[in-house]
Formats: sequence, structure tokens, C-alpha cells
Amino acid sequence: MKRWLSVLLAVALVMSVLVGCTKPTETTPEANEDSEPYRIAYVARAQADSFAAWLANAVKEEADKYDNIVVDIFDGQASDATQNALIENAITSKYDVIIIQPNNGEAQRPYAEKAVEAGIITITTNARIDGIEGASSVDADPYAQAMVNAVAAIEQIPQDANVVVLKGPPGNFHADARRESWQKEFFDKRPDVKIVGEEIANWNKDEAMTYMETWVQANSEIDAIIAMNDNMAAGALEVVKGDERFADILAYGVDGTAEAVLLIKEGAMTSTSLQSAYDLASKLLETSNKLLTGEETQIDIDIDCPLINSENVDEYIEMHKKAGAIR
Amino acid sequence: MANSKTNKVWTEIKSKYSIFLVLAVLFVICSLVNENFLSYTNLTNISRQISVVTILAFGQTILIICGMLDLSSGSVLALAGVLSVSTYINTESLVLAFLVAILASVACNILNGLMVTKFKAPPFIATLAMMTMARGAALLYTNGQNIYQIGDYIKFGQGSTFGLPTPIVYMLVILLITWYTLKHTIFGRSVYAIGGNEEAANASGISVDSIKMRAFIINGIFVGIAGVIFMSRVNGGMPNGAVGFEFHSLTAAVIGGTSFTGGIGSAIGTLAGAFIVGFLDNIMVLTRVNSYLQQIIRGAIIALAVIYDIWAKSKRTKRKLRSVEVDPKDSNILESKAK
Repeated sequence: MKRWLSVLLAVALVMSVLVGCTKPTETTPEANEDSEPYRIAYVARAQADSFAAWLANAVKEEADKYDNIVVDIFDGQASDATQNALIENAITSKYDVIIIQPNNGEAQRPYAEKAVEAGIITITTNARIDGIEGASSVDADPYAQAMVNAVAAIEQIPQDANVVVLKGPPGNFHADARRESWQKEFFDKRPDVKIVGEEIANWNKDEAMTYMETWVQANSEIDAIIAMNDNMAAGALEVVKGDERFADILAYGVDGTAEAVLLIKEGAMTSTSLQSAYDLASKLLETSNKLLTGEETQIDIDIDCPLINSENVDEYIEMHKKAGAIR
Repeated sequence: MANSKTNKVWTEIKSKYSIFLVLAVLFVICSLVNENFLSYTNLTNISRQISVVTILAFGQTILIICGMLDLSSGSVLALAGVLSVSTYINTESLVLAFLVAILASVACNILNGLMVTKFKAPPFIATLAMMTMARGAALLYTNGQNIYQIGDYIKFGQGSTFGLPTPIVYMLVILLITWYTLKHTIFGRSVYAIGGNEEAANASGISVDSIKMRAFIINGIFVGIAGVIFMSRVNGGMPNGAVGFEFHSLTAAVIGGTSFTGGIGSAIGTLAGAFIVGFLDNIMVLTRVNSYLQQIIRGAIIALAVIYDIWAKSKRTKRKLRSVEVDPKDSNILESKAK
């Protein structure tokens, strides 16, 4: 048994070394025979996070359109330590561009600064790390994403309404900025509206469901669900589906996921705003290209966050159909 | 001899009874604190909310009694669930989808079992490895994206059976299976014997490896069923769903009196443990306790439960030792542990 075990362990060790040596997912194997293609290291927050995975996939697809660029994707596994190590490795490996989708902006800041010091083009995205001299950024503005919904909600949510609020993980830049936006753009302007429940559902559908199930017990009247992302809005709607008392409930989210646009089409959800991974990806590659070719030296841009509601939802259903997320 | 037996039975009753006493007290307090707590819908809600974790906890209970545990159940649930959802989407067969979930989960648990029995890996490490692998497989299979538009698949977890929400029916059936298996089968008695003293169990002719493997397979079946209910309940195939459920299920089992040192625990105790957590979570939301504070309270309850477990166990050991001193002939420790 012991011999077996040692053989197995030895094989596992050799395999892991071999796997470790192979390069991560490459998109354009050999772009240009004359000149070496530019190498971009894309350090994703976590491949297990559905939006981050969507963005990483979109970056890969987008990179295929550029002959002079090769992108390697690295998984930060939602860990600051892992992500920082990946950035350091990318600096050592002398990548031409490092794109960082931070797990926690402040924790990655010193490492992003190191990359800039090493003379590597550094881009931060979703969310940007502000104020790094010499670094560029491509992002969506979380405040604006929530605001487009909040502005619409001012007209839509009835007088003296009862609402519930579902929040993302505390300390997360997007979670906090979206909640702040709802506060300033909606709750401060509508003091008549009462929050009858507010919980952290960590962007998760199942956690949101559990809270909503309890809220509908305690409150016979809930007029609106205000969620900081679509997953949580969809979870809360799942609970009141088919319940006569909540037939007219309003629901707001952010992201523009496939599920949310389908719910808007059905009339169950009121609105969301699009945080398009395709937009982010195409801007990221465009920005990289411009910086690499020396066309520009620093770029900070935001993608648009259009409001999706029953009037324009078809357009976004088409978008998801093209991507294969809706059949 | 007779004296020590009554003593043992009395301790056994007291330790079991105290869990239900805690549950009953909590139930009364919750009913007084908030008028919505005691409604039929709220109580069925709580039962439905805890069903997935409780089903996992029944598997954990068998494993923990046997001196093992499963850290992979949340991840395996997600893998089994997404495979099942995607089977349904491709074949439109609910039966096939259900079978795929069970098969996938049992396969993972056979691997767990092999690591533990053949290669003598500690269950903690073996199932920790499976936790990462199964999550990775679920993400790889779906490319990290949720699967939507799952149609009639939701029938598994959203409808009603015999007037009760379906997940509760699954939970009760699995409770019965776990209770019967542990209390009324040779397998069950062997599980207690192994957890109580593995070497003694081995010496008395119990095939330890085979029992451990079977414990993992049963756990696999439960996890597979939980996967189907979870995906159906959230109306989608979510490769990153059920994160942390392995810990929630361990919590339910431990609060319910299952001892981490093995050999002690019951299905009904685990159900009580799950309800204690369920009641607490529910009442904290109903009474709008600050969400950060909720985490502290939840943690404190787990700590109290474990401290209580250790305290009760040390009392029981002392009593056992005393009974041995009183009657030196009555030293059949294995027999007393097997029960």
C-alpha cells in the first residue's frame, strides 16, 4: 500500500509540475510570424464569480479579433493573496500589458503600482483602482448604474410604499456605491417610502429567496424590491411568483443578466441597467491596443449603463441570444 | 449491571431531551417576540428553507458518527445539480435528470471513500480535495455561467406533495431513512461501533472499510437529491451555488448533538439542530436584527453548542468510568459504545 501511495504521489507531483509549466489559456497561438505579438496578462477576480467569468470569456473572444495581441487569463480565486501573487508573476514574466480586475482595490493597489514602476502598461477594470499615476482604467460607474434605476423608481414607486432592499457583500466597491446611489437618488428624495427589510444577500439568489420568504410573512404589503444586482432581484421575485398579493410588485436590479431581461420581458421585473461584459471587453482590448501602439499614454473611460425596461428589452434579449445565454 | 444500564439510558434520554428542550424554548420565545412567527406559512417556509442543508446534514450525521465528515458536500451538490439541469435541458426527461444527479454525486463520494479507505487519507483532507475538484468541475462544465430557462425542472423543488412543499417531503423521507438505517440495521450499529472505537470494531469482525465506503455512498445519494432540490428551488443551474453548505450542514449536525469524536449522534437530533438554526435565522430577520449582529449571534450559538457537546460528553465518560469502577465485571465498553 505504501509503495502504491508513494508512486501515486510521485506521479501527482510530476503532473503538477508539468501542468504548472504549461501556459494558461492562450487565445491567439501564433498571431504574427514576423513580429512577436504583444502579451497581455488578464488577472481576473475569480472565475467562480458569474460576472467575472462572463467578462473573462468576453476578453478572450475579443482578443481573437486582434492579430497582434495574445491574452493569458489568470484566476485570482477571489483571494487578495492569490491575485497579488499573480500580478507579481506577471511582472516577472515581463508581460507587455497587465489588466487587473481587483478582488479588493486597495489590496491590489501596491501591486498595480509595482507593475507601473516596472514599465508595464497597467489597466484596472471592474472596479477601477483610482489615482494610480501612469495606470489606465476601464470601468462601469456603479453609482450611475443604480442611479438610472433610482431615477425611474421615483416616478414608479407609489406614495407611502413599503420596500425591501437586498445588498451585496459589505466593503465591495460596487455593492457600497450602488447602495449609496439608491440612498441619495431615491430614499433621500422620497422620505415617504419605508424600508421594511434590508439584508445582505451577498449577490446570491438563494440567500435573497430566504430573506424574501421571511419578509412576505411579516409584511402583507411590499410594493418594491430594490436589489443591488439582478441575481438577488430574481431570487426575491421567485418567492412572490404566482402570489396574488404581490402581483404588482416592482423590482429593480443591476447587471442586465440573461435571467433579468427574461423577467422584464415577462413583466415580472421592472428594470435593470446593463453592465455589459462585451462592452468592457471591447474597451479593454481597444485601450490596450492604443496604449501598446503609443497612440495614447493614459486612458480612463467608463462604459455606458443603459436602463433596460419593458420598452427596450427585446434589444437585450437579442444580445444574450447572440451570446448563447438565451435559447 | 442493571444500575449502570438505567444510568446510561437516563443519560442518553437527558442528552437527547435537552436538544428538544432548547428547541422548544426557542420556539416559545420566537412566538412571543413576533406574531408572524407562528403562522403556518412561516413555519412551512422555515422547513423549506432548511430542507437542502438538513438533507446534507443527515449524510454528515452518518459520516460523523462513523468518525468521518464531508467537506465536499456543497461543491458536489453544485456539480450534481448543474449536470442534472443540463441533462434535463438536453433530454427533457426528469427521471434521467434525477438519476444523473445521484450518479454524479455517488461517483464523487466513491472517490472520497476510496481516498479514505484504500489510501488512508484523513477524511478532512480527502473531502477538502474533493470540495475543490467538484467545484472546479462544475465551473468548467458551465464555463462559470448560470444555466437559465430550466422549464419543468422546477417541479422537483417548487411544487407540493401530500399538501406539503415537496422539499419538506424529501427531507422527512430522508430523515426516516437515516433514522432507520442508524437504529435498526447492522450497518447502522457498525457505524456507531467504528466511530466509538475503530480498532475494537475491527477486532470484533466489522469490515471497517466497507462500512465507511457505504457511509459515503449513502451520503452521495443524499447530496445528489439535495442538488436537484437546490437547483429547482433557485430556478437555474448555478455552478457557484451552495457555497458554504458543507459548513451549515456540519453546524446542524453538531448542534443536534452529533459528536465530532464519533460514535454519538442521531437523525432526529440533527433535525432539531437544523430547526434551531432555522428558527434563529428566521426570527432575526423578522425582528430586523442588524445583519452584522446576526453573524455574531449565529457564531455564538455554534460555539455554545460545541461547548455543550464537550461538557455533556465528559460527564457521560465520567459516569461510564464510575460504573466500571462499581462493577469491575461490567467492562464491555465496546458493547456500550455500539449502542
